Amino acid sequence: MIVLAVMLIAGIVSLINSIPLSIKVIYAYSKQYVAVTPRGNPFLTPLFMKVVEEESPVELERVMVIRGSGVEVKSIVGNWPFVVLGLEHSDMDYYLDRMSSEVVEGRLPEAGKPEAVISETMSRNLGLGIGGILQKPDEAESFSPMPVKVVGIADGENWFAFTSIEYQLENHFPNIDAFMAFAKSPADQLKLDNWTEEQLAGQNAQVFTYRQLEEQADTMFTILYQILNVVIGTLVVVITLMMGMLINIFLSQRVQEFGLLQALGYTKRGLLRRVLVETTIFVVGGWFLGLAVAFGLLNLVKVVLMDPKAFALDTTDWSAYSYSLPVPVAIFVVSLVTVWVKFKKFDPVGIVERRLV
Amino acid sequence: MISLERVSLVYEDHGREVHACREVTLDVQPGEFLGILGPSGSGKSSLLYLMSGLKVPTSGSVHWRGDDLAGMGDEVRAQIRLKEFGFVFQYPYLIGYLTALENVLVALPGEDRVSEAERLLTALGLSEHMRRYPHQLSGGQKQRVCVARALLGSPAAVFADEPTAALDHTSGRGVMGLLNEHRGAGALVVVTHDPVMLEGADRVIEMEDGAIVS
Ligand SMILES: Nc1ncnc2c1ncn2[C@@H]1O[C@H](COP(=O)(O)OP(=O)(O)OP(=O)(O)O)[C@@H](O)[C@H]1O
Ligand SMILES: [Mg+2]
Repeated sequence: MIVLAVMLIAGIVSLINSIPLSIKVIYAYSKQYVAVTPRGNPFLTPLFMKVVEEESPVELERVMVIRGSGVEVKSIVGNWPFVVLGLEHSDMDYYLDRMSSEVVEGRLPEAGKPEAVISETMSRNLGLGIGGILQKPDEAESFSPMPVKVVGIADGENWFAFTSIEYQLENHFPNIDAFMAFAKSPADQLKLDNWTEEQLAGQNAQVFTYRQLEEQADTMFTILYQILNVVIGTLVVVITLMMGMLINIFLSQRVQEFGLLQALGYTKRGLLRRVLVETTIFVVGGWFLGLAVAFGLLNLVKVVLMDPKAFALDTTDWSAYSYSLPVPVAIFVVSLVTVWVKFKKFDPVGIVERRLV
Repeated sequence: MISLERVSLVYEDHGREVHACREVTLDVQPGEFLGILGPSGSGKSSLLYLMSGLKVPTSGSVHWRGDDLAGMGDEVRAQIRLKEFGFVFQYPYLIGYLTALENVLVALPGEDRVSEAERLLTALGLSEHMRRYPHQLSGGQKQRVCVARALLGSPAAVFADEPTAALDHTSGRGVMGLLNEHRGAGALVVVTHDPVMLEGADRVIEMEDGAIVS
């Protein structure tokens, strides 16, 4: 029972935590750079680029012009939009490098052709191998006028997809270049991100950074987590009440035993200590067992259901496991209070005389 | 060894006072077999609880080897009950999840008395039943396990409150005989309303309405 409750709570919270985790994992690529898309006016791109290149507070390693088109990836809560970058050929290797990745199967896309390289994570997520179609003319969310074929798969943990910039220039609108700026040292990237955001605030540009994404994910889930807290709070109360009743029944039987032992010369204190030890073992044991079962089940879920689709799930999510902590604590407290109350008005003579307590 | 001085015990029963014992004065000698007879409600059990420190008198005093039982701390009194006294109750209370042997060992926790317990159980005719659980034993056998539990560690005094009440006459007498036979040098105080059970007693006192009448 305690095992079940702990397992349930730890499991559910882990699964729910996996949603924001997925967002962070899927869009983790944006940690590596800040992206800027000018609004409406294609002539703004070189202007903003110049600003970033000349005034950046940190040393830049590369600034590259890109295009972007849309594709959808799958998550346990439906499809999410994702970007297919159009990259200059000369930038592709650098980009792969920053993604700590390399093409392990196939090749890079040829200029102007409907060809794409996708990460191994995306390949798993979308079930696309070499020759699979990433974007199609008849798909609204993963649209391209021509079927875009996967020609290369790149390894590593990051999620990304790119075609040649030429293909996107010819086939995708709006006709505006965007650009990405990479700090020389990844440690400086956050500084560059924040600076760019500030610098271009209020101007006709949209700035994309990882921090924004993280913030959005977190605010998106605050309400969900509040609901979760209420649900788990209620669950803990219900479970504790039920356990309290069970413990009461169980202890009523043991009261006989304690009455006898007290009549034989055991002290109340010794018996209380004994109950304390037993309850502790029971509760802590149940908790650990519950956590172990939850861990086992989550791993199973991860291997069987999540990994094949590259869905993120952290099976060692301590914050999720700690959600189950109120269960053993509440049960422990209820048990002890029950025992204490029972012991307080306790006459062993009543028990050995069979006058029931 | 145990001396009671004008001991009274008053129960509070729904605002009414019930005098279970009235100014009882009594001595229990080392090694003696003392029988306490009397009709139901005469206060026999109450007297036994007072002697054995299970209850504290309303007035008067109970001394164990010169020490006032009421005056010592709970821990010390419990220790005396555990080490120096043995108890047999009317109903053969055993702990359900322990074997007969383990139930006997419960009397002296933390001491290695397995061979002594085995010897006692064998002497009480239970050599075949040591590893059985209470639900596998008859009433008489259970009460014999209780006798072994009371005798473990050769206590200075064994108290028995109607130890035969839950048994038929024959096994009742059997249990009484065994209790008397195996108590060694310890005193034996037996409460009963059946004089037949007190054959072999050194002294028998009779109670009525909370007082000793003879
Ligand atoms: N816990 C109690 N509360 C109130 N009155 C009690 C309590 N225990 C015993 N009495 C009363 O005290 C008196 C003496 O009781 P006690 O149990 O000592 O008698 P007894 O001689 O052992 O009787 P029996 O042979 O039926 O066991 C009785 O009148 C009984 O009703
Ligand atoms: Mg009685």
